[in-house]
Amino acid sequence: MKVPTHAEVLPGAWLPLLLALSLLGACAPQTMYHWGKYERSLYSYYKHPDEIVRFEEALAGVITKGESLGKVPPGLYAEYGYILMQLGEDGQAVAYFEKEKLTWPESSGFMDRMIVAVRDQSSGGAQ
Amino acid sequence: MSVRGHGQHEPGRPAFVGLLCAALLAISSAACTPTLIDKKDYSAFRASHPRSVLIVPVINRSVDVDAPDYFLSTISRVVAERGYYVYPVNMVRGLLDDDGLSEATLVHEGDPTRLAEIFGVDSILYITIERWDARYAVLSTTVTVEFSYLLKDGEKGNELWRAQELLVYQPNQTSNSGNPLADLVAQALVAAFTKALPNYIPLAQQANAAAVVRPYKGIPAGPYHGDYQQDQDRF
Repeated sequence: MKVPTHAEVLPGAWLPLLLALSLLGACAPQTMYHWGKYERSLYSYYKHPDEIVRFEEALAGVITKGESLGKVPPGLYAEYGYILMQLGEDGQAVAYFEKEKLTWPESSGFMDRMIVAVRDQSSGGAQ
Repeated sequence: MSVRGHGQHEPGRPAFVGLLCAALLAISSAACTPTLIDKKDYSAFRASHPRSVLIVPVINRSVDVDAPDYFLSTISRVVAERGYYVYPVNMVRGLLDDDGLSEATLVHEGDPTRLAEIFGVDSILYITIERWDARYAVLSTTVTVEFSYLLKDGEKGNELWRAQELLVYQPNQTSNSGNPLADLVAQALVAAFTKALPNYIPLAQQANAAAVVRPYKGIPAGPYHGDYQQDQDRF
């Protein structure tokens, strides 16, 4: 990796200094959450929308690793649950919506609505 | 591949780290030069103190029809790492789609308080892609991204924060192999690869990080961040 080219994409006079600092490793690249392949797999999914199973697998991987580190990002359980819902795995979907709600109280109203929606959909499909 | 990767290999991360360093630097320098810094007005933001952010599908003013979807993969991380509960972007996009709101303009022009009520969210982040393009030339290709960001309060609908970010990527103009002909060939190769596969994602990530994290201009730390309500000197 040739780092100096970063300077060309960053505007502002203070950036060369930052560049020097990152080169020196003054700050370790620490993040609160484990994102793993989330961004890359979402990008690939948008590029190849038929590859939903691949996206599902990638999300499962991010969650497994994130749980082992105790660093699952906000929204990830819900994102995964939504894909499971699209794949017709309603029971699993609800379980992940519950997990999101339990982990992030901010999501509780939204997740409650989703859980109701999945159950409506399931009972509608069972008729 | 090695040429395309040249300088583009995961630049998002080091730049993000750099920005965090900027935050730290700013703390130490703020005491010396407070009057020189033009801080944004954060009073509306502080009054609202949102915990959660809904990122809605982005408006596209570029000619690249895929840009809005690709962009969505670059924004959650930086906002979440800033300390906010970020709604799952793909799920939100899918649900809005199902409701006939696949057109981002409709969502952006709609009532933010209604949207916030439906999702139970504290704030909504509206992003517009102003530029997402590559200008081709024989020896160098310039890739440009530009975004505008607008955060609105979910309860009152008023503006909490806004930003605009422009980033330009130009592959190495100066090579120094000592052999001018080899340098020229190398430049042409880089330009050709950039032309074939302009890599917007790291640029978008850097733009987002700059917009969100930069002291005096970005978003104050959220409830899951260690600096929550401790960063009034910078935000």
